[in-house]
Amino acid sequence: MDGPDDVIHQPIRLRVMAALTACDPSDEGLDFTQLKKLTGATDGNLGAHLDHLVRAGYVEVTKAFVARRPRTTVKASTTGRAAFARHVAFLKSIIAGA
Amino acid sequence: MTIRSDEAAAMLADVDSVVAKVKQSRIYRSAALIITLWGVVNLAREALIAVAPAWFGPRWFLIDAIGVASTLALLRWVVEPGARLPVRTLAAFCLFYAFGWVWSNLLGQFEPRESMAFWPTLFLFGYAVAGLWFGWAFTAIGLGLTALILIGYVWSGAAFPLWLAAVSGLGFILCGLWMRRA
Repeated sequence: MDGPDDVIHQPIRLRVMAALTACDPSDEGLDFTQLKKLTGATDGNLGAHLDHLVRAGYVEVTKAFVARRPRTTVKASTTGRAAFARHVAFLKSIIAGA
Repeated sequence: MTIRSDEAAAMLADVDSVVAKVKQSRIYRSAALIITLWGVVNLAREALIAVAPAWFGPRWFLIDAIGVASTLALLRWVVEPGARLPVRTLAAFCLFYAFGWVWSNLLGQFEPRESMAFWPTLFLFGYAVAGLWFGWAFTAIGLGLTALILIGYVWSGAAFPLWLAAVSGLGFILCGLWMRRA
């Protein structure tokens, strides 16, 4: 079993990945406001964590204007989904081995 | 990096909690669409009955049939594109209508006022029960709108049809918009 994923291990990023991977891969993902509500993070904090996840290739961020308002949509990438599944499997292995 | 088993358990519980919230939020968003649709259907039905009571009064179910077809279309092409025909939803509608028809036409001997109050509260009862599985917002909508309909039934006098149009039309639309944000 691999070790923990250093990118996903951080609590806010773990919640972000949990929320995004709960969506169907064919869905458009979640918008920034929904993620903020789900993670309890502030705008700046969530933005920084998303940047981290984007750099790791775990999420894709799309910015668009909907009804003249900016809308940021975030979606888990295939790599991100696999990394999250590995991290969850690792956490389960710790509990199983305790 | 070392993670203790209690920390791992807490992280997994956090993951489960977020996943549950996402799933509920998706249920609410889908239901909000359907509730708003039924607000429009209810408003149209009441308006048409007010405009042409002789024709639409006994044929209100035609407008409801459009509502049922639109609900199935929403579920099939918007909520879950590519899914099969939602047979269970169609069966649920049939059961509710059959139950309502038996009581309002065969057993209940309802007057028009009772019948007008009965049909929306029958479906709202379904919402209230569904809330036990799908989230408190359904129960809040079911009980809240039922209370408003019963208040109108008792106290609104001759304005009851107007009251009903407001509650089952605008009330549903507002509840749908609220549910989207719940």
